[in-house]
Amino acid sequence: MNDAPKIKIRGLNFWYAKRQILEDIRLDIRYRSITSITGPSGQGKSSFLTVFNRLWENIDGARATGRVCMDFGNGFEDINHPDCRLPLLRRRVGMVFQMPNPLPMSIRKNMAFPLTLMGEKNGKTVAAKAETALRQALLWDEIKDRLNEDARALSGGQQQRLCIARSLVLEPQVLLLDEPTSSLDEAAVHEMEKLLLRLKKDRTIILVSHYMDQVRRIADRHLVLRDKKLVSP
Amino acid sequence: MIPSRVNGEACDRLMTLFCWGCALTLTLVLAAILGFLFFKGWHVLGPKLIFGEVRPLDALLFKKRVFSGLFPAALGTFCLICLAVGTALPLGLACGIYMAEYASNRVKSFFSLMVDILAAIPSIVVGLFGFSITVFLHHYFGGRILPCLGISGIALAFLVLPYIVKTTRIALEQIPLEIRMTGLSLGASPLQNLRHVLIPASLSDIMAGIVLAIGRCAEDTAVIMLTGVVATAGVPKSLFSPFEALPFFIYYTASEYSDPAELEAAYGAALILLAICTGLFIISFQIKRRYNSFN
Repeated sequence: MNDAPKIKIRGLNFWYAKRQILEDIRLDIRYRSITSITGPSGQGKSSFLTVFNRLWENIDGARATGRVCMDFGNGFEDINHPDCRLPLLRRRVGMVFQMPNPLPMSIRKNMAFPLTLMGEKNGKTVAAKAETALRQALLWDEIKDRLNEDARALSGGQQQRLCIARSLVLEPQVLLLDEPTSSLDEAAVHEMEKLLLRLKKDRTIILVSHYMDQVRRIADRHLVLRDKKLVSP
Repeated sequence: MIPSRVNGEACDRLMTLFCWGCALTLTLVLAAILGFLFFKGWHVLGPKLIFGEVRPLDALLFKKRVFSGLFPAALGTFCLICLAVGTALPLGLACGIYMAEYASNRVKSFFSLMVDILAAIPSIVVGLFGFSITVFLHHYFGGRILPCLGISGIALAFLVLPYIVKTTRIALEQIPLEIRMTGLSLGASPLQNLRHVLIPASLSDIMAGIVLAIGRCAEDTAVIMLTGVVATAGVPKSLFSPFEALPFFIYYTASEYSDPAELEAAYGAALILLAICTGLFIISFQIKRRYNSFN
């Protein structure tokens, strides 16, 4: 069962205004794996990630066609289908950006934010879920006494792990990471890679990366985005 | 090549010096205005200036009418600012949010033009518009509506609406894409994103627009002169009664004073006007701080 594809992409095209970025992509992504995507800059690696949570819909001029089917436990559903509820999809498919983007509020509020959006009001549940996610992101011990501090006061590596924890708090089954280590120093990169290897044990991870050695260290499958196509190197 | 580099450096220094000089001039002008007002007005400041011969408590509880003090004018200006900003704020915020977040480019440029035109209308014209409305209402309701606080407030709201619309729109549009995407990628609906991320992130800029609007409402004389202010109206009794206002008091005292003591009262009024504005600014900054607090 572990090898069953979690995500199936068929006939995916992506445009920015009139410029086509992706052409007729066909791809299966396995459950509990790290799939890495590399390639020259400006080819649309980050845009490709937005296909999995339909975040491209919030970018001016972006347009995608084709089927992106995901299995969240009830068989494959096409996430581009009109019946697919966007907030629910984005809770199941978490995303971490290249630059750490903590919201301008305390660490505690950052962690509670996704749960607040869901309508979770029980303070105890929120605190418990936040703690679990922070532990998963290997951040709890460093910040457990600083929860009321401004999240922007953390170091770059801590901020990025906070952002990962903030996505994990919703228990996403798919995690999208857009060059999550590019703004971190060596020690933080090492921490992050360890973390990703742990996280893939119960979710599917898709990672855009610049670093070939990083890809070799942690990816189960490596793809290159070149000339609008995804190919194996 | 060395001489030109030296020239460049000299230019750089000169430019810095010039900018520094401009900033200093600005500060000095501000200090001069404030200093002048204090110098001319400080010795009339006191309960007598505000409450005249009436005991302050009696005046504040509206037990006795204040004839020779500025209490009715100060209260009138305060009510006017609250009414005008209170009317313009929801409209302006909603309009700015719509333009920044929901409108298509074509709609946005059309509305921007409209808002800019509204901003460019002189206040006396807005006053005339308010006056025409008053005349219309007066005829329509069989003479029961006269120039009053309500109409002045609404006319002033139109005067300050463009400031609020524009600052709201620009503040929201300046938010970087990463911040904008954060909430959305965590499953926020566009409305939730606005409520929890975008508005808090742009609040300090929006507040600057509100402060500007408060200042504009406090100082305007042209609009209220045509729509409801009266020199001896007493404290405003309702939205439909005439009122007194500090800028109008300053204006007519300065133009028609008969002895120096009257002019001094006008300087005192200017200081009270400044104090009211400062108070309102402090309140808006407190609201902003509370909204932005981290814990």
